[in-house]
This record gives sequence, structure tokens and C-alpha cells, in this order.
Amino acid sequence: MDFKPSPERQILFDTLKKYFENEYSLSDRNIAAHSDLGYSKKAWEAMRDLGILESLIDPELDGFGGTALDISTVFEALGRGLVVEPFLEVGILAAKVLSRGNDAQKSLVKKILENECLPILAHSETDTEYSKSFVETKLSVEADGSYKISGTKRMIKHASEATHFLVTCRNTGDASSEEGISIACIPTDREGIKIDSFATIDGGRVSDLTFTNASISSEELVGELGMSYSIVSHAIDTGILAICSEALGIMERIKELTLEYLKTRKQFGVPIGKFQAIQHRMAQLLIEIEQARSSVINATIYFGDETEREKTISAAKFSIGKIGTLVAEESIQLHGGMGMTWEYDLGHYAKRLVLIDHEFGDEDFHLQKYISL
Amino acid sequence: MDLNFTKEQENFQIEVRSFLNDNLEPQVVEKVKNGIPITKEDSERWHQKLNEKGWLAGTWPKQYGGQEWDVVEKFIFEEECGSAGAPRIVPFGVGMLAPVLMKFGSQKQRDYWLPRMLTGEDWWCQGYSEPGSGSDLASLKTSAVRDGDYYIVNGQKTWTTFAQHANMIFCLVRTSNEGKPQEGISFILIDMNSPGIEVRPIITLDGSHEVNEIFFSDVKVPVKNLVGEENKGWTYAKYLLTHERTGNANVAVSKRKIQKLKKLADDAKKNEQPLSNDPMFASRLAQIEIDLQNLEITNLRTLASVENGEAPGAESSIIKILGSEIEQDIDNLTRKSLGKRAFVNEPDALSTGYNGAEVFPKAAAYASGKYFNHRKKSIYAGSNEIQKNIISKLMLNL
Repeated sequence: MDFKPSPERQILFDTLKKYFENEYSLSDRNIAAHSDLGYSKKAWEAMRDLGILESLIDPELDGFGGTALDISTVFEALGRGLVVEPFLEVGILAAKVLSRGNDAQKSLVKKILENECLPILAHSETDTEYSKSFVETKLSVEADGSYKISGTKRMIKHASEATHFLVTCRNTGDASSEEGISIACIPTDREGIKIDSFATIDGGRVSDLTFTNASISSEELVGELGMSYSIVSHAIDTGILAICSEALGIMERIKELTLEYLKTRKQFGVPIGKFQAIQHRMAQLLIEIEQARSSVINATIYFGDETEREKTISAAKFSIGKIGTLVAEESIQLHGGMGMTWEYDLGHYAKRLVLIDHEFGDEDFHLQKYISL
Repeated sequence: MDLNFTKEQENFQIEVRSFLNDNLEPQVVEKVKNGIPITKEDSERWHQKLNEKGWLAGTWPKQYGGQEWDVVEKFIFEEECGSAGAPRIVPFGVGMLAPVLMKFGSQKQRDYWLPRMLTGEDWWCQGYSEPGSGSDLASLKTSAVRDGDYYIVNGQKTWTTFAQHANMIFCLVRTSNEGKPQEGISFILIDMNSPGIEVRPIITLDGSHEVNEIFFSDVKVPVKNLVGEENKGWTYAKYLLTHERTGNANVAVSKRKIQKLKKLADDAKKNEQPLSNDPMFASRLAQIEIDLQNLEITNLRTLASVENGEAPGAESSIIKILGSEIEQDIDNLTRKSLGKRAFVNEPDALSTGYNGAEVFPKAAAYASGKYFNHRKKSIYAGSNEIQKNIISKLMLNL
């Protein structure tokens, strides 16, 4: 038995960790994260030069990674840095979908690596419906064999600068049916697309996208008509693994910040970490974070196993949701007033950690899913 | 990352499984699986079978009759025993005193006491806690005063598990009141049949008799029964406690209990549906199951770090807290799942010779009793609050 990452992955993690500590200033990050764009193009390009995207993408598409372990390693490091740039949206969700498409679509993955395109998956439709198969956006077949799509996609992150949308849509079946789901890969300047974007609490911009009879050619479908649920399902599962790992990195960083604070902040003449009431809360956090890490390791181990993947992914997302919120709330409490300030790093980590529970299904959703599987 | 057992480890697992299959007595397994206390004779027969195989003290060095199991082999053995419903090896001799004798005892003591643990000639109990010294163990007062070739022991020990079965006790006693409390403690071995010893049962809230209090009045103990040096006992006691706290994950036992709970919930009805379909129940159960899966990995991570030569520090405290809480959660939900039947308390209904009315479901015979009895798990072996103190000190450096 050995739980250590391979030497190569350890080097990758250490390199990224050092880079974020030295080069990715949190105050610059916060300015960019809450700007109109929602991230920093300069930081995005600097991080691309480190090979982060390549480490998320399979060798056959010009990357050098793409396994569950690679993704988990990289996203834990991204979490430590509180990176807001669109690695999840582009490097995982879009790349995973496009890698299952035709040659032209696969070549878009290579173009991602060359910084020539920024495709974004447009899937979620309602704010509280987390099911992976929930799609109402309508795909209609025209007389000439082409298609049109109409419908609304909500809370699509980093959509405003996208070059392509990968839009899930359906031509048959009920709103939650796995049958009948297609994915259309279209340039964002296609007629009939409206984008309304919003600022977010944790950084980055989100958009609601309205499609009104946007036309699609048959070459623009990813996978076969009505048969693409498994593509989007696998991409989202990969996204869940990625943000669970991101949450681990955030929790480790929060643990460091909080411990440092407990050792330096003095009240009644002693560091507050000397008080048992504080020590036990902190010890409990450490225990919970270890359990969260174990849940992510479990999901990583079973990621390639078709029968166990969804169950272990749901167990991990549930664990991360429950523990993440606890860690965020407790660390703010342990910091007292300092935890409430914009200036101090902690609050920004805590916000992202809590909001991760709102992505791809929250703890309640995944507990129910776990029960149903 | 590689989570697989080696070929040798897999073969060992198969060997343990088949040994258990061939040697466990079904009526004892039935008791273990229902949480009913087993008798001294049940334990002794099982110890003897294990000893014949050389597995009673698998982690011991070969020269003393052990197999020199590493942490993974110990884990495999314990997990298989847990799944199969084997009686737990009574730990006080082979698991707790033996490591202390091997590290700190004299050659004479090792040669005399270790073989007797294997043959079952001695049944050991542990004399640590006192009425005024629980979590603050170092404040203990039971005194041993040197008088020629003897120590004269006076005082009281409490919460002594299975003292009613034991013929020997290892004790922490005060031999000095100088300096810090920790610096005046010695570790001695006392014959329970010595004049001046009185054992009184403590009946726990579920009505069972596991623990006792022991009174010492001018008990004469030969000086040769001192382990190591006088006033160094605290070091030996702490060493023993690290052994006491390993192997507390109880993952296999908890998994077995969850399977049993699922069966109970399938058979019980709520709102004219199987209880297992009730969303509130299903949610409680699934959360425990996920916690246990996470603990399984946390435990394996600790084992792997020990296997790779990193000493376990406070990780055993993390495991102790999680293992005890999860087991308590299962016992709690089991009690709830029985509804009104949880009032029943007929632990004897599973023993041979019981001639009262049949309890149905059988698990109800001792479910509430076991729930109350198992509140001890977060109290004994260093209360979970003490474990958090250890984590704060050793892992958080607070």
C-alpha cells in the first residue's frame, strides 16, 4: 500500500504550490476576480506557460496527463492558490466533452492548448435542479436536416469571453431523461444567443444564456443525435473530482492560516491557541479535513470503475459539501473579526469553499444520489 | 499511489479467512454478532485455538512464539476477525503488557511471563484508573512502599475490566512524592490472589458486569515484580497507551453492523413501507456509511505511513475518535430502527440455556443495552477529549 503521489506528480504539485505562493498574489487575484472579466488574462497566460492545461489533458490530444490522479493533484494546488482562472471550465468540462467529438472538435482541444480558443460548456438550466440529465433546451430538426436550439442556460461561469459554447439540448424525452440529449458545439457569435452576466460572491463572472432559434449544422453535434448523455455525465463527474480536490487545497490553506493565527493572536496574555475550547475545535477541523481527503482519494481510486464511479463521487461531494461549510464557518469564527475582513485572505478562501457546495449538486443532492445508487 | 495488498498479503488474508471458517464456534459468533458478552471459557477456548496456530500474539517476535506480523498483517488479521464475528483477543496480556515487558522488562520477566500469556495460565487485567485519577492519570495515589524484598501496596483501582476473571494485574503505583507527579510512578505486577486484595463488581447502566473496583490493603508484592526502574513507570505507561490506541478503527466490525442494520430496516415497517425506504432513516444510514468509507481510507493511509517507516503520532488519536463515534452512531441508529421493541432488554436470550420467550427480532434482545454500554467507547482508552488534547499538542503544535 502506498498513498504517496508519484514523484512526477509530487514535483508538479510542489512547483504549482511555490508558483502560487510567490507569483499569484491574492490581492491581485481579488481585483481580477471581481472585475468585469472575472479573472486575469495575464495570470491565465502565465499559468498556461506552466503546463497546467497540458497536465489536465490526455497525451493523444497533445497534453501530458488527464488521469484522475493528475486532475486531483493539479486542482488541489489550484485550490491552495484560490485560482479563479477558467481551468475547470476549459481544461476539464469543455476539453472532456470535445475529446469525445469529431476530428474538428478534437482539434479544438489542441487549440485550447495553443490559446486559440476558449470553449465553455453550457449545461445547467435551473438554479436548484442538479441532475446531470436535466435538459429542457429544445433541439428541433429542420426540413434541410439542420437544427435549431432554443432555451435558457443558467449560471454558466466564464461565459462572457468564450469563443464556443457546448450547449446541451434535447429533441426527445422528458426533462430529466438520459435519452435524447445532444451537445452542440457552436461559435459564440452565432445569431440568436443572448448573454446576461453577473458578479459573484467568490470571484469570476457567471452568465445566463438565452438561445432563440440558434441554428446548428449536423457537423456541430458532439457525438450522435440524442445519445450524448454519457459524454456530459463523464465531463461533470470529472468536474466534481476536480472541485472536490480544489476544496481540499482550500481547506489545507485555511488550516495553515488559522493555525498561524491561533499561535500569534494573544488575548489574556497568551496565544488564543492555548485555550482548550479553541484547541478542540481546531482538532475537530483537522479530523474532518483528513476524512474529506480520504473521500477524495476514494473517488480517485474508483474513478475508472464504471459501476463504482458515481457512488464514490457522490460520497466525496457530500463529504466535501458538509465538511467544507464547517471548515469555512469554524475558521471565520476562530479568526474573530479578522475573519470578517475583505483585506485578510481567509474570507476569500471561505467564500469559495462554501460556494463549491452549490456547484454540480450540493451535499443533500449527493446524499440522496448516494442512497439511490 | 497503490492501494492493493501484495500477493503475500492476499495469501495471508485467504489463510486467515479459512482458519476462521474452520475454527470459530457458531454459538460464540452468534453472541459476538449480537453484542452479547462472551464468557471467560468462550475466550479461553478461542485463545487456545489461536495459540495452536501461532496467531494469539501474531505481532510478537518469533523467539517468544509470535509471527512478527507487520502493521498490515495485523490489520488483515483483525479485519478478518471483525468480519467473521470472532471474539476479540483479550488484550491486557498479549497486546498491552507484553510490549512493555519486551521493551522495558528484564530477561527473567520476559522468559517467565510471556509464555504464560500464550498458554492462558495468566489472565491479566490493567490497574491504571483510580477514583480520583481518570484523564489526569498521573495524579494517581495508590502507593507502593519498599520494605525489604517487598513493596507494600495500599490504595484503590477502578474501571478494571475483567478483574473478576484475572489472576494477575499490572499496576501503576506511586513510589515517590518528589518532583512532578509523573516522576514518582512505578509499574509493578501483582498477584490477584495476594492477601489484602478485594475485587468488587461495578454494574454498568445496561446491567452488565465488565468492570470492577479493586481495593489494596497492605498487599505484599515481591520486588522482582517491578518492571524496569522505580519511578520510571510513566514512560512505560505511555508506551502501553500508544499500543492500546492502535487498531481502534474497527472498520470491519462497523461494516458488519451496518449490514445487520440494513437487514433490520428492510424487515421493519414505517408508513406501511420498509423502514429502509424512509428518507429520514436512509439519510442517517447513508451518512454513517460514507463516514465509515472515509475512515477506512484514513485508516489505510495511517497504516501505509507506518509501513513506509513513518511513526504514527497522533494519527492513532484521529482513528480512535472516528472509530468510536461511528460505532456509536451505528448503535444509535440500530436502537432507533427497532422502534418500541427497543424497550426490551433480554441479553440472555442469545445464550445457550435461555428458556424465556423468544425475542424477535433477535437483535432487539440487547440493542438498547449495547447502545448504552457502547457510550464507553468515547470515554475509555483516553477519552475523546484527551485525544483532542493529544492532536492539539502533537499535530497542531498549539
